[in-house]
Amino acid sequence: MVLQARNLTVSMQSGSTRIDVLRDVSFSLAPRKVLGLVGESGAGKSMIGRVISRNLPKQFSIGSGNLSFAGQDLVGSSTESLSALLGDRIAFVPQEPLTALNPLMTVARQFVEHLDRIGVARDHQPQRMAQALREVRLLDPDRVLASYPFQLSGGMCQRVLIAIAFASHPALVVADEPTTALDVSTQATIVQIMRGLQRDHDTALLFITHDLRLAAHVCDEILVLYAGEVVEHGPARAIATAPQHPYTRALQAANPSPSGPLTRLPSLPDNMPGLAGFASLQGCRFAPRCPAAEPACHTQVPALVQTVPGHAVRCPLTDRQQAAAKPALLQTARADSASEVILEARNLSKYFEATRNWFGRREGPGLHAVRPMDFVVRAGEFVGVVGESGSGKSTLARLLMGLETPTSGQISLDGTLLDADTAETRRLRLDTLQMVFQDPQSALNPRRSVEELVTQVMESRMTRLPPEERRQRAKDLLNETGLSPELIDRYPSQLSGGQKQRVNIARALCVTPRLLIADEIVSGLDVSVQAQILNLLLDLKAQREIGLVFISHDLSVVRYLCASMIVMRHGKVVEQGPTEQIFADPQHAYTKALFAAAPPADLDHPWPPEQASLS
Amino acid sequence: MAFLALQLLIRRALLAVPILLCVSALVFLVLRLLPADPIAMSVPPGATQADYDQLRISFGLDRSLPEQYLIWLGKLLQGDFGGSIFFRRPVMELVAKALPATLELVGLGFLLGIVIGISGGLAMFMTRGRWGEQVLDGSTTVMMAIPEFLWAILLILFLGVVLPLFPFIGRLAPDLTLPVPLTGFLILDSALSLRVDLLASVLAHMALPAFALAIGIAPLLMRVLRSSLLETIHEDYVTQARLRGVSESRIVIRHAFPNAALPTLSLIGVQGGFMFGGTVLVEMIFAYPGLGNLMIDAVRNHDLPVIQAVALIYCVLVLGINAVVDVVYLAVNPRLRLKGRPA
Repeated sequence: MVLQARNLTVSMQSGSTRIDVLRDVSFSLAPRKVLGLVGESGAGKSMIGRVISRNLPKQFSIGSGNLSFAGQDLVGSSTESLSALLGDRIAFVPQEPLTALNPLMTVARQFVEHLDRIGVARDHQPQRMAQALREVRLLDPDRVLASYPFQLSGGMCQRVLIAIAFASHPALVVADEPTTALDVSTQATIVQIMRGLQRDHDTALLFITHDLRLAAHVCDEILVLYAGEVVEHGPARAIATAPQHPYTRALQAANPSPSGPLTRLPSLPDNMPGLAGFASLQGCRFAPRCPAAEPACHTQVPALVQTVPGHAVRCPLTDRQQAAAKPALLQTARADSASEVILEARNLSKYFEATRNWFGRREGPGLHAVRPMDFVVRAGEFVGVVGESGSGKSTLARLLMGLETPTSGQISLDGTLLDADTAETRRLRLDTLQMVFQDPQSALNPRRSVEELVTQVMESRMTRLPPEERRQRAKDLLNETGLSPELIDRYPSQLSGGQKQRVNIARALCVTPRLLIADEIVSGLDVSVQAQILNLLLDLKAQREIGLVFISHDLSVVRYLCASMIVMRHGKVVEQGPTEQIFADPQHAYTKALFAAAPPADLDHPWPPEQASLS
Repeated sequence: MAFLALQLLIRRALLAVPILLCVSALVFLVLRLLPADPIAMSVPPGATQADYDQLRISFGLDRSLPEQYLIWLGKLLQGDFGGSIFFRRPVMELVAKALPATLELVGLGFLLGIVIGISGGLAMFMTRGRWGEQVLDGSTTVMMAIPEFLWAILLILFLGVVLPLFPFIGRLAPDLTLPVPLTGFLILDSALSLRVDLLASVLAHMALPAFALAIGIAPLLMRVLRSSLLETIHEDYVTQARLRGVSESRIVIRHAFPNAALPTLSLIGVQGGFMFGGTVLVEMIFAYPGLGNLMIDAVRNHDLPVIQAVALIYCVLVLGINAVVDVVYLAVNPRLRLKGRPA
């Protein structure tokens, strides 16, 4: 076995209490195999990588059990013998490729540093580097080697990091969310490259991800973690096609599918507690959110039991709730061509001039961020805007909100043409349109209470409202966005990620806008919370006939939510129309490639495809 | 790189023109508004009103303010700072003697400050969380709490008088003379004339004032470097280097320090300006014949042409230091030199 964990427990000392942040984890990883660690943020999946590299946060320690690499104890060994392993026998591929390379050093210098470290003779190094970079499909190694990290795209940086990781032909590679920060098409390429190298060099791969569907395609075996515990462990295919633990099932069901009939996503209540909350979880840690929980679940810790050989589940009730109620069919509101048009964009475009240098000369060409495009959004219509980074989708949002001045074209709201930037048009825009920002963490002022945050927009109105009225409005908004009224006096730091995003949405609803602009509002959320937010948006549509421009890189989410969609690439609309039609029969080569790049729900469909590259 | 640096310097030089014009006008105006009468300070006792008037006319002080300013500016552009009213010598001659002395002193003070600041910052970082950091942190507070002129006096007291280790008056021991003044930079001159005894004396005389100036910038550099090291050590690329088994000392020196040094570098540019201001009092305390001392003499005697000239030179020096820091920044930060990834 390359990597073996036996009853590994990691504890955190918090005041006088010890909290097990990872409890009783056992697994073994053989050469040439891929083990997936799947779970939501805070489930403890990254903790195992940190135990290997002995990079645990302060106050964290190994409580009991052990972890060994090729028979060598990783927990008890000396720091020197561990350092000798790192980079040489055990390598790591990071989550954020753009920040994982030193910005002041060229790729070559960082690669040389590593080759020196693993003992490659200086005169062999140039050849080794060129070969390693060609293996990760960087076809111009000399140019890449001479570049600084900021001159390379995220995908290229990740390939460089993979090339460095595999340079020593390590026995084990730990990849922690290696594709999360990348575009779909890049994700497919990266997975392909990593799997290829891993097979060629008989490397064992520990693949850490929040994406169960991706893990099902990449891994041989999967370990599902919830609140620091393994809830299910078995062959990847079995876990993905026939999950047994209620949590795995919920995780799988909460992820909208890129194909098949559309059903309302079942979503779990609340969210996984933070580390400090683990202490109060007696019994099964999933019990408070479990749809099938019984009184005994709250008091007794269930054991991890093999149901079939090689497949273990930490739940005694697996057979009990097989027949979960089929979720109701989703009412996909067609874009009713009779309902009134809220927003109409004609010939809308944005061209960013190149910056001029001191002598008035342009430095390089400008950027066509959005090329002329037309579209309408009707009352109660959800329009999805899909594209990869650099496609111009965020610039489009800024144009609609009036944060950028269009280079050409017009926007009309409720039949009024916004042809000049006057106080009147600005007021109309703010009354009709509201923006929900991507990252609630930075969009919510940490020094304001929930009440102030959701009713913030009332402060700028000319009419001063009595405080009771404002409080009542805040309560209504919380109620409408599914937040408990107890939260009204809390501050953002006291809210969970999902709650923050709800506050963020509630705030946009305060002026009762006709249309919301949402830029990647679920991309930072865990799947179970994502499902809650998506359902919330659908409920708002039903209740308020609100329209939505939903910008996302995730095709499945757009399919779930939006009746019509726009596919953008390099600022240009390549395809536009009813979502159903585009999914059934994509016309443009780029749309087809985009579909092919996303991991399919059907495991018999081989993924990643052979030609994964879109560029 | 060379082209970019040149472009940057040209840009800086062009920007310097309006700045210097403003400063010169401001200094000129303020000095004329003060109830200062340079002639009264320099006429011998018993001079008549006629003598007084004649002197006023000979210095052009009877003309209107704009006229005076334009005449001064016109001469300035020809490289003529005019004549000192008090010393009765061309201002250019006075400045030419004092400027190398100050440049030499500031250069050494700067070097000392950067060395102390960077090594202290690194030491504070390496001893983080232990008593060493507490001691260093305390010492930066003490260094910052005491102004540099007071440091000058303390240094004289302890290292000049109580423990007579260093001389503290002038630039050179009185019994030594320089064979030929070549450049005015005594370190350079004594080295060129191959006189070790001279060089030693020059350096010993500069030690205390340079140290007093260094104390003005070192503690801030230490603190900024320490805190940016604390930030960079948590950057992804540092973690990633650690995961490749790179040794801790190499991580600090090769990965964390160069990145953490960038904010420190911009601080050095700002502090450089303050250091020139610091020379005024420090030079006076050490009777060091530089620009600062010249300035004090000039102010005491209401010697307007000298005050104007020295103020303008200080301004040029501050702009120059900032331009140099900008060029260094350009050299060490590739992001300023090269284009980023294609959008």
